[in-house]
Parts: sequence; C-alpha cells; structure tokens
Amino acid sequence: MPGLHALQKILAAHASPCPSSIEPGEFLQIEPDVFAVQVATNIEEVDRLEADLGDLGVEELPLKSKIFPFIDHGAPAPTAGIAAGQKRWRDFYRRHGIAIADPGAGISHLILTERGIVLPGSVIALRDSHTPTMGAVGAFAASLAGGTLSLFAIGRYWLDVPSVAMVRIDGRLKKGVFGRDVALHVNGKLGQRGLLGRAVEFSGSYVNALSMDMRFTLCNMGTEAGAMASYVQPDNVTLAWVKDRAARAFQVFDTDPGYGYVDVHHFEISALEPQVAAPHAPDNVKPLGEVEGRHIDQAYLGSCASGRLEDIAAAAAVLRGRKVHPDVRFIVTPGSREVIKAATRMGYMDVLNEANAIVTSANCGACPGLHGGILAPGEVAIACNTRNFPGRMGPGGEIYLASPASVAASAIEGKIASPVKYLSSERKAP
Amino acid sequence: MIVTGAVWKFALDDIDTDQIRRAVYSHLPKEEQGQHCLESLDPTFASRAQPGDVIVAGKNFGCGSSRPAHVAILALGIGAVLAESFGRLFFRNSISGGLLVVPCPGIVEFASAGDRIELDTVAGLVRNVASGQTLSFPPLPEFLREMAELGGEKPYLKKWLERQRVGPLAPGDASPAA
Repeated sequence: MPGLHALQKILAAHASPCPSSIEPGEFLQIEPDVFAVQVATNIEEVDRLEADLGDLGVEELPLKSKIFPFIDHGAPAPTAGIAAGQKRWRDFYRRHGIAIADPGAGISHLILTERGIVLPGSVIALRDSHTPTMGAVGAFAASLAGGTLSLFAIGRYWLDVPSVAMVRIDGRLKKGVFGRDVALHVNGKLGQRGLLGRAVEFSGSYVNALSMDMRFTLCNMGTEAGAMASYVQPDNVTLAWVKDRAARAFQVFDTDPGYGYVDVHHFEISALEPQVAAPHAPDNVKPLGEVEGRHIDQAYLGSCASGRLEDIAAAAAVLRGRKVHPDVRFIVTPGSREVIKAATRMGYMDVLNEANAIVTSANCGACPGLHGGILAPGEVAIACNTRNFPGRMGPGGEIYLASPASVAASAIEGKIASPVKYLSSERKAP
Repeated sequence: MIVTGAVWKFALDDIDTDQIRRAVYSHLPKEEQGQHCLESLDPTFASRAQPGDVIVAGKNFGCGSSRPAHVAILALGIGAVLAESFGRLFFRNSISGGLLVVPCPGIVEFASAGDRIELDTVAGLVRNVASGQTLSFPPLPEFLREMAELGGEKPYLKKWLERQRVGPLAPGDASPAA
C-alpha cells in the first residue's frame, strides 16, 4: 500500500466501520470529536431541522456532549430579524440541554482552539468555510457542507478522503512584511482553484519557525485557494501552545515517509514585499506598492484570518504615538475575548484607543458584511478580512486585503500605505 | 434521473455564494431568498426563471462562504445546476438540500442561454434537445447521486436508518455506497 498522509490516518481513526484501505475520493462514515454549530439566523432552517429529527425518530441527540454552539456572525444581533432567528436557535440548543458560548466569546475557530477543544488528531465538523484554520494545530478541520442533519440525527457524517498537496515555504521575511503577506502571496500564485478538491499541508523552514498565530493565518487562507482542509504537522511550537489548553487527551498522527503528495508548490519569501489582494478576488494579488496612494474610507482589522494577538500587536507597533486619519474609520474587531484580554495586558488596546481606532467586541464583525462597518456603495476599504468578493462588506464597496500592519499604516495616511517606515529597524517580523 | 429544461447561463468563473444569495438575506424565508437569487449578476433572473429551468455556470461555481445559498436556487424550482466545476461547500450543501448539481467540464461552450437541454445523470450525458448534440461527463459518485435523487440528506437518512434496522449488517453495509 502506498504511504498515507496524517490527515488520511486521522480520518481512518474516526471512521466506522474501520476501513481496510483508504483511497482519495472514497466516502467514509466519520464520527467527529467536535460538532460545532452556529447560533444561526434562519427560523425556517431550525423549524425544518426539528421536523426532520421528529420524522426520523430522534429525541436525544447522539453527539450531545460534543456539540458546541457559538455565535460569531452578527453577534450581538444587529437587526430585529437576525435577533429573532438567533433566539429560535438558542431555544433549540437549550431544549436539548446544550450550553452556548456567549456572543462576546469570539470567532468559532479561535475559541475552539484557544480552549483546547480542537486538538492535534481531532476531527472537527463545522459549517463555516474557514474551518481549515484549525488545521494549524494538526487537526482534520474540513468545512462541513452537507451532513448537518446526519450529525444531529445519527452522530456521524460522510466525508470523502482527500488527496493532499504540499505548500513548502522557505526563507525569512524582511521588515514590514508579515505572515498575512505570505498568505496573500501564496493565494495569488495558486489562484482560487489552485487547491480545489484537495487538502493542503504547509511546511518548510519559514513555517517551522512560525508562531501559532501566523500558522492559523496561513491555514485560514487555504480556503481561498479551494482547499478542503489545511494542515501543519504538530511540532514543539504546536505542543507548547496546546499543552496548557488541552481539554482532553489527544494523539499526534504522522505522514508515512513514502507518501506521494499530489502536488508540491515551493515558495521562497525572503525578498517578498507587502502584498494586497485588490478588488474583487482574494487571488487578485499584487505588491502593495502598485496601489500605494489609493484613497480609502475605512480600514478594518479583524476576522478569523487576522484577528489574533500578533495581528493587533503589529497594528499597535505602527500606530504607537500616531493618530488615525480624520477621514478614515479604523475599526478593530479582536477575534476572541482571550485576544482582547491579552491585548489589554500588553497595552495594545491603549495604543489603539489613543489613536482613535474604533475597538469592538470579539466576533466576525464587518468581514461578512452583516454589521460593525458596512461599506456604502463606492467606498473603499483596506482590510485584513478573509475575502474581498464583490459586495462582501456592503454592495458596491471595494475591498483591498492586506496585513494588519499595512491596514494600520493606511489608516494613518487615509490612503493605501506601506507599514515599513513606521516600524523601528530593530523589530523582528514574525 | 433525466432532467429537461431551458438554460440560464452564467458563464463567469468563481461566482461565490454571496453573489448567489447575499448573507444579509440568510434569515429570510426561502421564497424571499429566491427573489434575490443571483441578483447582482442578473437582476431579472429571479422573476423570469421558470420551475424546471437549468443553470449553466463556469468554474468553481459557489466558491466562498458555506452559507446555504442553494436554498435560493431551490426556491425558484431550478431543476439542475451544471457547472464546469463547483466550490466544494456549495456542492455538498446542494446535494444535501436536494438540489441536483453536476460538474460538467465543457458545458459553458456546449450550452447557450435559452437552449433546451436534457440531462441524464446515470449515463453522464447532456443532450441539446433541438440539435441532438451531446456532451458526456463523469457521473456523480453513487453515494452523492443517490442522495441528490432521493431529494437530499433527510430522505437519504430515512432510507439508511431503514437499512440499519433490516437485519445484521455485512461488513461495509453501513457504508452508504454499498
């Protein structure tokens, strides 16, 4: 048998019945370790779910102890319609005796990893397209699409075994260039379909030297290249991060030495400059220098791609002792309450407030265009969102994706700007 | 399964789920979501589409967010979506929701807006009803085809649970493809 990838071994270990062999494309019946669910907004959907469960004869939810409801899109509720939908979903979970994370806890992908619920070797089922983010801890984290009813009703779902591509990144970044710039660069080179139908493993000397925050950023953006799941092989950095968080025992899986990656993409990033993804696609990537000086109305820091402590630290380093341009709204939405607490302890929150940034509670914020910074038609934003499709932050708005440092530098100048001149020379880029 | 219908063509690549149905309409009843279906690409589509019509699209149709945008297409009674390829999440959501989605390389060149086409999911064949021209495609994996044709995840689970109750399972019988 040809070697197996760690992701394929994780799936096999969660499959029932246990498969005797594993082929890419084959469907396995999987019992996940965690079934995370949005406190969603559509009333018809929960009505239908309850009716379907009744019809299938399901009373106790078989995964009850593994169901983790959270509320991050449109949280706290921005409109009466969304509030009514969220109430209906909350009632559903409460009736089944399942505890719900509060609407200030943060974005699902952050809280599930920060609280040690998603661990190396876990399978997590979650209907959010950026679920691959959590592959940074060495979990199998594919976005759930289809399978929601199966998971509620029988506690299992069907997943196709992916083939795995490798993205190997080597080198050391220059000053003013960050992990998010690397992610943008990789997305630009691979394109939106570059990893379609595959899982992706990130490796190489750059990745090995990377903090967990930036590994999450890389894995997050696998989604925008079409990847089913992202993965970083757990190492000492992972294990040190997970050690005090793990809510249960876990197992690290390894890839067999002879495993044949379906593709290997190699990147050398030592000469990379700050990058942007210009409107209206996450792979429309170019050096920031090509759009420098473009007028902006809003700057946005947040999202499951770039709403972590290091992201806020980078923005604070740029903004320290400076002010946001009076014509710009600079909105900062930390990714989780843990990020808020840490950023407060480190003094970054003071820097942001002194600079006249608009700091919000922890949630998905303006990234999905539901509240907290919707653009008017014709307005331009620079943002470290996950994506910049047409109308994402409001119909008719334009979004440039960039690193948190580039977003902060642009907020100061009121136009797209490089962060390099705002960063002291002794600072080392993560 | 045979599906026959008139073609609506959205020839662009990478049409994301927010363009199929924007996030701000997520909480609305499905009929109202249908009225906003693909409105940023063709504001007249929702009002002119007829039940049974077929959507033809480019590569990576339904990329982006995992929000169940297929609901808006289903609400219009669309019979099938044929695309050069699909975003994985939209594809799986659609099958679970009972919307027939078929990856069909070459379909954008093959089909023109307004053509009547006949889709045979088992044979993996699309036929232009007027000209008789055909285009073949790899049929869906059995498991997905069965789920889509039964009407989605709910009827599929019902059948699966019945099979579980019927008697002792041979190895592999728990697998839906068996």
